[in-house]
Amino acid sequence: MKNKILFISSLVLIFVINIFTNSLDPYFYTILIYIGINIILASSLNLINGYTGQFSLGHAGFMAIGGYLSIAVTTYFAPFFINTFGTGVFGESVSFVIVLLLGGIAAAIAGIIVGVPSLRLKGDYLAITTLGFAEIIRVIIQSLEVIGASQGFRGAYIFENGVKAAQIPADLSNVPFIFYSVPKYTNFFWTFTFVAVIIYFISNLMSSTYGRGFLAVKDDEVAAESMGVNTTKFKVIAFVSGAFFAGIAGALYGHFNLYLNPEDFNFLKSVEIVVMVILGGMGSMIGVIIAAILLTILPEFLRGVSEYRMIIYALLLIIMMLLRPQGLFGIKLKPRKQT
Amino acid sequence: MNLLEIKDCTMRFGGLTCVDKLNAFVGENELVGMIGPNGAGKTTVFNIITGVYNPTEGDVSFIGTSVIPFKPYQVAALGISRTFQNIRLFSGMSVRDNIRVSFVKNLRTGYFKSILQFNSYISEEKEIDKRTDELLEIFGLLDAGEEFARSLPYGEQRKVEIVRALATSPKLLLLDEPAAGMNPTEKVELMNLIKMVKDKFNISILLIEHDMKVVMGVCERILVLDYGKKIAEGKPEEIKNDPKVIEAYLGETH
Ligand SMILES: Nc1ncnc2c1ncn2[C@@H]1O[C@H](COP(=O)(O)OP(=O)(O)O)[C@@H](O)[C@H]1O
Ligand SMILES: [Mg+2]
Repeated sequence: MKNKILFISSLVLIFVINIFTNSLDPYFYTILIYIGINIILASSLNLINGYTGQFSLGHAGFMAIGGYLSIAVTTYFAPFFINTFGTGVFGESVSFVIVLLLGGIAAAIAGIIVGVPSLRLKGDYLAITTLGFAEIIRVIIQSLEVIGASQGFRGAYIFENGVKAAQIPADLSNVPFIFYSVPKYTNFFWTFTFVAVIIYFISNLMSSTYGRGFLAVKDDEVAAESMGVNTTKFKVIAFVSGAFFAGIAGALYGHFNLYLNPEDFNFLKSVEIVVMVILGGMGSMIGVIIAAILLTILPEFLRGVSEYRMIIYALLLIIMMLLRPQGLFGIKLKPRKQT
Repeated sequence: MNLLEIKDCTMRFGGLTCVDKLNAFVGENELVGMIGPNGAGKTTVFNIITGVYNPTEGDVSFIGTSVIPFKPYQVAALGISRTFQNIRLFSGMSVRDNIRVSFVKNLRTGYFKSILQFNSYISEEKEIDKRTDELLEIFGLLDAGEEFARSLPYGEQRKVEIVRALATSPKLLLLDEPAAGMNPTEKVELMNLIKMVKDKFNISILLIEHDMKVVMGVCERILVLDYGKKIAEGKPEEIKNDPKVIEAYLGETH
């Protein structure tokens, strides 16, 4: 009940703030949106790596699926959306929610395909399979002409003769067309509504008895199984839920940048999200949110040395492991004084 | 029909035979002790019953169903729960949360209802809270509910493990050296508590104990294992004077 009231009032607050964000400096506005998207990414990975204790290293792959699928649907089916829902604020909102959910669902389906076989195996196969999966997704996108291949994707050309493509084919250079670019649907309201949704989602799940299942898997799989917890099922649920929200984050990103390139979703992006989770303290919601904010702002100060980002992340992690292995905000188990 | 039936069970690891053609049973509402020197194969028997190991030969059935094809969580769903010799509490969780894990398998409100906090979810959580209180109270752990389970004294941790196992609503409870690390008075108290729990919840208990004296007072029947073989079985007073048992225990090097 308390969470429900908090959730609804935060939606109202986000709606009100959204009105004022129009006057914000575009540079700060962009950073604000990226902060929101990174909070969603880091929190969703926290579900897998933090709360459930699995090690996924391919979150950028799910983000890519959600991002590409959603902007492809928005642009290729633009006439359908315009005819059905119109171009008013309401119609556009409906269209946007539909493609956001489609992006999330597509990523979740990919999550099932990758997660079920690798999570059934004992041992740490997940890191390897997810890493491989994200790279495969990137390579596939690089070779898919319909979504712009390695050139990246800005929108769809719909020709009068019915042909649809991401670039103008040579033999159709005389045919009239309409170019549907990616509409800028993502704004403060939608981004932070989904931030509120994922916070509400995780805090409710993790305070429930059902949520103890995830924590038990992380803590001791043998004991969890003996108490009747189907550990594989819980791992898959965490993994697929995380993939779903990563897909949503990708869709938000796509409808903000209005252009996606396969390189946006390389290994570095996956590592960045993992660093946010580790830095924030695996399984600490507030910690991971703060880490996501810090790691979105930090690179802005390090513009000149952006080639060294990987090294900085690695150093951060090493310092962290030495000084605060539980993360910046993770709780350390204190032994009770024995009387 | 017996609750648990172990038929010609053999467990080999490589060339080592740890359980050797074991036949045993546990009846309804029975408290059975399993004793034997270190390394006799007692814990291995528990691991076979709960589906952690598949026996090399033989069968284990529970209320007429073979447990061999089942995974540990499925065996737990059938109604067998256990504690561990080397305590395996969830160290990152409070005592209460450790116990809440046991309610996961029978939850009526699943993933979506928990996230959306349906009314059915709220009432079920209240029920779970009440059941947890009841169980903690029996073991005198009500005040320790919010402590990290792993920060409790050793003896209390063992009790939390028993409570956690009981919270799964088992028909058969397997206790692996529940009194280890306790002093003699605490051991006697615990054994009486275990007997009380058996009657209160009308369950059966199979209890491993290294020290023969501890189980003599409470168990209705005792099995003695040595080198994986059952060397004796019977009422406590019969076991106490069995020459084979005396020899097994005398031969033990400390
Ligand atoms: N997974 C395993 N692999 C190899 N040997 C094992 C395994 N589990 C148990 N054993 C061996 O089985 C024997 C019996 O062990 P255990 O059942 O723990 O004895 P007890 O509980 O009676 O002290 C020991 O010699 C032990 O080393
Ligand atoms: Mg043992």
